Amino acid sequence: MDEVLDEVVPTEDLKKYEKVYHEQLSSGNITQKAQFEYAWCLVRSKYSGDIRKGLILLEELFHTDKEESKRDYLYYLAIGNARIKEYNKALQYVRGFLQIEPGNHQVHDLEVVIKRRMEKEGLVGVALTGGIVLGIAGVVGLALALAKKK
Amino acid sequence: MSVGPYNYSYIFKYIIIGDMGVGKSCLLHQFTEKKFMSDCPHTIGVEFGTRIIEVSGQKIKLQIWDTAGQERFRAVTRSYYRGAAGALMVYDITRRSTYNHLSSWLTDTRNLTNPSTVIFLIGNKCDLNAARDVTYEEAKQFADENGLMFVEASAKSGENVEEAFLETAKKIYQSIQDGRLDLNAAESGVQHKPSQPGGRNTLVNDQTASKDSCSC
Ligand SMILES: Nc1nc2c(ncn2[C@@H]2O[C@H](COP(=O)(O)OP(=O)(O)OP(=O)(O)O)[C@@H](O)[C@H]2O)c(=O)[nH]1
Ligand SMILES: [Mg+2]
Repeated sequence: MDEVLDEVVPTEDLKKYEKVYHEQLSSGNITQKAQFEYAWCLVRSKYSGDIRKGLILLEELFHTDKEESKRDYLYYLAIGNARIKEYNKALQYVRGFLQIEPGNHQVHDLEVVIKRRMEKEGLVGVALTGGIVLGIAGVVGLALALAKKK
Repeated sequence: MSVGPYNYSYIFKYIIIGDMGVGKSCLLHQFTEKKFMSDCPHTIGVEFGTRIIEVSGQKIKLQIWDTAGQERFRAVTRSYYRGAAGALMVYDITRRSTYNHLSSWLTDTRNLTNPSTVIFLIGNKCDLNAARDVTYEEAKQFADENGLMFVEASAKSGENVEEAFLETAKKIYQSIQDGRLDLNAAESGVQHKPSQPGGRNTLVNDQTASKDSCSC
């Protein structure tokens, strides 16, 4: 399962979707499809700068796109944050997601992988306090608002 | 989680493709966990699973990428085709549309993998025979015409699930033996990992990546 955090986007794919996105950017009409495809590649880059860029694009999509797509953005926000070792944030997105879909095995698996990494890197204590405090105010709130709208 | 280190001599990369809802994730889950998920949410992007199998006395680790069938993922999931040694292409025997789309899935597979990639066609949900919408014979003919291996299977009952994954591996292994698959080619989808003496495998740091505890 660690593979979902370790696999790296092929450079030519990143370039391809980057080009589409930038073309749309300069013509002033960015589709959600192009933005998502580019962001999905960015968060699988080996450079943390790319991943951070991808996270910004995903957050924007999360706030603007339709309800049914939000699960995709939450999931990749968790993946991207975990990849740059922002484990607490990643877990907030995971928990936010599981508020909406408690039984989702894909996201449960991701949670297991993230926690194992934190343990390996000696970050477990930090996770418990930080996660809860920020979690309530942050993503979980968003997710709850989302669930109510359904 | 305490078992490792694992000894295996090969890693084969697989992909699972096909329309949404045909049962790709359930097939993977049945293969890795021997359980059926009756209420399975749509995959987001890709899921990953792994299992170690044995072919001709050789331990082989299968690394399986299960792609999302929903249209909005179609473009980017193509990245995962590259370097696949095996492709399981799935349709649902109770939904004709999923069968009709096979030629488009096959085109993608042929374009994005290499000639030695083994493509295995699976007609899933064969436990629902009463609701059948695609006959065995026509699917078999489609498979023969396109040089694909084929079974009907059920992720629910488990019928033919093992077989599909294992037969694919056997065919890949055969290609290695025959020299048709070049282990040194960058995108063969196969890695050779000679076992370490003494069983301690410190070079490969994926000991934890095997049997994941799944909470569902
Ligand atoms: N009766 C029966 N139902 C099945 C079988 N395999 C899967 N299902 C059901 O079909 C639905 C879809 O299965 P999934 O495995 O999620 O389908 P998928 O191909 O992964 O779908 P995407 O992730 O959206 O691409 C689930 O509700 C399963 O319970 C089967 O062999 N028999
Ligand atoms: Mg799936």
